[in-house]
Amino acid sequence: MLILAVPACLLLIWLCTVMGAASVSAGEVNRILLHEIFHFPVDMEGISEGSVAIIRDVRLPRVLLGFLTGAALAVCGACYQGIFKNPMADPYILGISSGAALGAAVGIVLHFSSGAAGLPGTTLLAFAGALLTVLLVYAISRRGKRVPVSSLLLSGIAVNQSLSAFMSLLMLFNQQSMEQIMFWTMGSLNGKGWNQILSILPYVLAGTALLMTSARELDILLLGEETAVQLGVSVERVKKKILIVSSIVTAAVVSATGIIGFVGLLVPHVVRLFTGPKHRFLMPVSLVFGGTFLVLCDTLARSVLTQEIPVGIITAACGGPFFLYLLWKARKGGTA
Amino acid sequence: MGERMLELQDVRAGYGEQEVLKGVSFFAGRGEFAALIGSNGAGKSTLLRCICGLLPLREGSIRICGRDTGRLSAKERARLVAVVPQSYAVEYAFTVEDVVSMGRYPYHSFGRRETPEDARAVRQAMEATNTLEFRGRLYNELSGGEKQRVILARALAQQPEILLLDEPTSALDLHHQTEVMELITRLNREQNLTVLAVLHDVNMASRYCGRMILLGEGRVAADGSPSEIVTKKNMERLYQMKLLIRENPLYDKPEITPVRVLREEQTDHPLRIHVICGADGAVKLLEELEERGYLLSAGVVNEGSDDCVICRALRIPHVEIPPFTPVTPEAQEENLKLMEDAEVILISDLPFGQNNLANLDGLERVKGRIFFHKNALSSDYTGGRLVERLEELGRKKKVVYFGDHDEFLKKLGAGLEDGGSRRREEPCR
Repeated sequence: MLILAVPACLLLIWLCTVMGAASVSAGEVNRILLHEIFHFPVDMEGISEGSVAIIRDVRLPRVLLGFLTGAALAVCGACYQGIFKNPMADPYILGISSGAALGAAVGIVLHFSSGAAGLPGTTLLAFAGALLTVLLVYAISRRGKRVPVSSLLLSGIAVNQSLSAFMSLLMLFNQQSMEQIMFWTMGSLNGKGWNQILSILPYVLAGTALLMTSARELDILLLGEETAVQLGVSVERVKKKILIVSSIVTAAVVSATGIIGFVGLLVPHVVRLFTGPKHRFLMPVSLVFGGTFLVLCDTLARSVLTQEIPVGIITAACGGPFFLYLLWKARKGGTA
Repeated sequence: MGERMLELQDVRAGYGEQEVLKGVSFFAGRGEFAALIGSNGAGKSTLLRCICGLLPLREGSIRICGRDTGRLSAKERARLVAVVPQSYAVEYAFTVEDVVSMGRYPYHSFGRRETPEDARAVRQAMEATNTLEFRGRLYNELSGGEKQRVILARALAQQPEILLLDEPTSALDLHHQTEVMELITRLNREQNLTVLAVLHDVNMASRYCGRMILLGEGRVAADGSPSEIVTKKNMERLYQMKLLIRENPLYDKPEITPVRVLREEQTDHPLRIHVICGADGAVKLLEELEERGYLLSAGVVNEGSDDCVICRALRIPHVEIPPFTPVTPEAQEENLKLMEDAEVILISDLPFGQNNLANLDGLERVKGRIFFHKNALSSDYTGGRLVERLEELGRKKKVVYFGDHDEFLKKLGAGLEDGGSRRREEPCR
């Protein structure tokens, strides 16, 4: 069943590329993709320049960015739920989201437009804000050589709250930027292009690959840290590795797209219902499902209303009820 | 004993300000099965945490198979030492085989994943613990005893040299406690595994372990075979309570019977009471009377009977004869001597036969009041001679019959009413 899921996901992604406000037919989309991306010698007669530009420069990068973002968030979420042994853990739990938001808000307020590597200044500031926040949380919760997960969770919540307060304050004094900041925090793939993809791709590829090498340790950590130590896991080292790698991946993704909630929390839970708790299966399947889920949500975001809806709203609106349904079903079945 | 598998030298460790282990030293040889016993807070579990690397040492050293644990990597240590904690729940849907396979983690590295050797070790571990049949079931859905066997299988999959057990049976019922201990004993014998187990049940430790290490206040208070460790002195200090120690006839190992922690109400009239007993029926009564502060003596008891054990344990003056021998005139003479000063003579719930009817000889001469437990009449094997003797005695001296021990104790407490002139000396209210 899971093997069938991969082609199904690919098909969905393709469908999402076909769907959109500007109508380009499925056959045309195929020809454009083959010609422009894979450089196949395909007959391009009858396809307008505009259609080619829409598919190549707008829709395809948007779908790909959506997939990368969703995949990265889902894999990081799965890892965090593993090391925190907490079902409510998601990639933002250590304050990355509010750190990134504050960084972005500062960029927006200061009209920090000069960027680098083809990325806007807000993105760079958000990335810096996210990483600094995680460092702060980490420093606060450290006890000698150890980083207890309970204190990580608590200081994550505390830092999250205070940074949110700062951001509200910033918005209060800069009401002309309020809308822009609000829009940023709701997360969107609108207006993002190949630059964003190229900037996060190395983080996402290297990061998820690194995280997946820890699948075995993550399994054992689910039995508790003490048991893991007794079974020979270098618990603190594994925790550090996962915290650092996930933080960097999440920070990269969040700074490019804004705060897209629920994917990192929901997808690993749903996937676990099908694959069981073993990370060897959980992580790759989360990657595929997370990516597809976000592409789907984004397609909804840009096609249900004439106005573009921030995709974070869609993920929460779809994900919340679906999650509740699964919980309800699991409770009836007796297993979660 | 040979090879030193586990060697602790002056180990000190603790949490925060508090030092729990204050210099523990001992070593264990290959194939030993040693129990760590001690009261709560004596540092048993802390010691295990130190050995398996969960708690750093403050001072001293622990060597496993001759290697200093401080220099071992986590994986190296897990190949030498495996831990079986109390049975616990796992909140995730792992199968039994998943859990057991985790025991192979210390043998894996980045480049080396599962090998046939791993599969073999997992299979053997499950066979040895009888868990193979439910390897596909979810760990969470197992019973407590089954879970514990799975955890034991996981530890065996580590192919360790030393097995540490932290109260492995405390969450189990009697059947599963015994099952787990028997399994461990078998592994200890068949695979020559060195086992160190924290057990809070001294009788279990005495029965299964060849060696017992008693921890007290963070140090080794005693170390030796069960018969050297399970002594009245050690055990009363350990548990701060009254208890009895006797040989379990089935396993030839000492066994404790807890007697009491809370003190009974003390009598303000420490009467002298002589109890005629000798079989197994007067244990509770003797203990209770002694506890309340009465001055006791007893006779004539048969060696090896429960009454004899308790007389010795409580140091009650008594007359002893070999088992299955009649009460000789000499023994009864001694018995009467003990009764001389007694204010109360209690004939306890005792089966009378030809051999011990002589206990009642000469009671006409004693000055104490005589009480007779009616139950003794229902286990009368004298062919009517007991009743004759009582009637004869009754003609010369008053015999008070009573139904149970509580009734008797109440009578004593009330100051013996008619004869209790001493009681009336108390100031009137």
